[in-house]
Amino acid sequence: MTQIELRGVQKFFGAVQVIKDLNLKIDDNEFIVLLGQSGCGKTTTLRAIAGLETIDQGDILIDGKPVQHLKAADRDIAMVFQSFSLYPHMNVYENIAFPLRATRKSRSEIDAEVRSVAKTLQIGDLLNKKPSALSGGDMQRVAIGRALVRRPKAMLMDEPIGALDAKLREEMRAEIKRLHIKQGSTSIYVTHDQIEAMSLADRIVIMHEGVLQQVGTPDEVYSHPANLFVAQFVGSPVMNVAEATVADNASAASVSVGGAAAGFEFPRALLSKLNGHAGGQLTLGIRPEGVLVRREATDGFLPVETQIVEPLGSFDIVDLKVGSKMLRARTKSGFISGAGEKVYARIDPSQAHFFDAASGRSLGVRL
Amino acid sequence: MAHIQLKNISKTFGNHTALSGLSLEIADGEFFVLLGETGAGKTTTLRMVAGLEKPTEGQVLIDGVDVADWGAAERDVALVLQQYSLYPRYTVRQNLEFPLKPKIRRLPDAEIKDRVARVARTLRIEHLLDRKTDRLSGGEMQRVSIGRAIVRKPRVFLMDEPLSALDAKLREALRTELKNLQMQLGATFLFVTHDQIEAMSMGDKVGVLNHGRIVQTGTPHEIYNNPRDTYVASFVGSPPMNLIDGRLVDNRAVMAPINFELPLKGGAGTSGATEGRPLVFGIRPEDVYLESGAPVEALVHDVENHGVEKILTLRVGDTMLRATVPARTDFAIEQSVRFAWNPDKVVLFDKGSGVSLRHAG
Repeated sequence: MTQIELRGVQKFFGAVQVIKDLNLKIDDNEFIVLLGQSGCGKTTTLRAIAGLETIDQGDILIDGKPVQHLKAADRDIAMVFQSFSLYPHMNVYENIAFPLRATRKSRSEIDAEVRSVAKTLQIGDLLNKKPSALSGGDMQRVAIGRALVRRPKAMLMDEPIGALDAKLREEMRAEIKRLHIKQGSTSIYVTHDQIEAMSLADRIVIMHEGVLQQVGTPDEVYSHPANLFVAQFVGSPVMNVAEATVADNASAASVSVGGAAAGFEFPRALLSKLNGHAGGQLTLGIRPEGVLVRREATDGFLPVETQIVEPLGSFDIVDLKVGSKMLRARTKSGFISGAGEKVYARIDPSQAHFFDAASGRSLGVRL
Repeated sequence: MAHIQLKNISKTFGNHTALSGLSLEIADGEFFVLLGETGAGKTTTLRMVAGLEKPTEGQVLIDGVDVADWGAAERDVALVLQQYSLYPRYTVRQNLEFPLKPKIRRLPDAEIKDRVARVARTLRIEHLLDRKTDRLSGGEMQRVSIGRAIVRKPRVFLMDEPLSALDAKLREALRTELKNLQMQLGATFLFVTHDQIEAMSMGDKVGVLNHGRIVQTGTPHEIYNNPRDTYVASFVGSPPMNLIDGRLVDNRAVMAPINFELPLKGGAGTSGATEGRPLVFGIRPEDVYLESGAPVEALVHDVENHGVEKILTLRVGDTMLRATVPARTDFAIEQSVRFAWNPDKVVLFDKGSGVSLRHAG
């Protein structure tokens, strides 16, 4: 049972503020992923929770008790890093057993625990090997084993698979997820890779320039981004964004982008949901799968011209010229043959997002 | 503008054979991508076209002329590398002007001004012209490098992983920009990358290089849908094609060693596949379907969430295979599911050679 809470955490490196008033509550057994670009403060946050970094203001609570003044060793938290940091002169068994040597456990107890962890991680047959004889994936398994063997209150992982090649990374990601389901320990995982975050997390915490942008399930973060940063950071290909003008067409609302004369048709409910923002500076956000394309004229679809087509195998990304703007649409593979075709496009209102252009904040419109 | 041909090229460095019997042809105005892993020989091939490397055997022809004795400068090619290699103390404008101001054959000032302005407009770096290059972001620097290459109007553009050092979002944007630029200029591009998404999305033609040999050349569509062998099948596509060992029994695919079976369509794809011959069955994740009444039972091993869709890893005995499902469907790890495949989309490979039966015949 471990809950972790951050309350009003602030951290400076000299004059640079790397964590700005961070508040976050992590539930027992939850798998939290801190996601952001390099320099966003995610690793500093993780290290602060582990006790490897002091904080300048605020509280870090583990099970309701403030721990910011405790040393790392007294917080009972395990850390796994990208560099495996194993002891090169010890074999795998000794590396895993090491954290238990300082405890008052008997030899046979330690032996049982090392073997049980090794079995979980499927490294039972590597126990006599030195780290130098292991592959990258196995080294990281041993590092995870060494973290797990203490049965810490929480597991903190800093890009643990970032140094592995793509195929191994996928394998290890699946293993980490499966291990978490089996062992059920509170976990905090740092990455800059949005697919990793989407695949592992119960909830994703997105940070940018030291400021928390959004906390939510992968589905919430993808389908209802809180602001333009999240909208464009999560999802590949990137969400289309465009300055938009909304007009009332009596029977429907019309949303035009790129200064085009004709607008995309939206339900009239949009006007009331924009709630006074309709006249202001708006940014429309739409993912490529929310731009619908037809080859023949269809009611509610605008004529547009195709630009380049990117075939990505199972689907294509087609650039559509709308006024001066380019909207990227996801279509079936081979649906559009190339540039210069006249086709018809529509924006799926249920997948459209509206942001305040100045602040970048989502206006929370759901149609 | 130029047509490039490599004829039976081999290149050895000491004991190491970098390229062997490599032949390829790049049409005038074509965007040709050479795709391969590190060490496959991509960069060596590119350097050979540039004139920075001499083939041990074989010929390089530009517009039908053997250029063996031509130096790099005479070949009139422009090279863009992953490292930007700009002059740091110069402004963007000075960097762009530099290739137009050689000691001999210097262009008139008005012409230089005009060309720099046009390039800056094309690459949308007009607002950066008077900035020093050490004050630019990675994407801006790469745009300037490309600008410096196109300002000369060379016959051929050679690009060696120019997008690899950029972050994902920028890479996506520059991919489109480069492709647009190539279409605008109508220029011949030879682009080298290890990233199959770049190859698929930009190339008119893609050449897959493995261990110094061209395995397959074709349009992205051909390479993806009709891979010549299991190497291409597993290298192109993300996630890659599922490859499962099995045999053909009674026009059904019977997988070894755990004996699940799936129906197959006869005809062109399976001709040459005799009963019992060891095969590898290839099927793309988007052609694997989950349905309640489907023939094979599997457990969900992993769920990769892409937002727009999910990629499930399914486990049947020791065999793993991937299936693409809509984002809105929820699956738990170790949940039991049933799957089938689209029998029209199955590619059969010979187990021994790895070559597709469609290509072997």
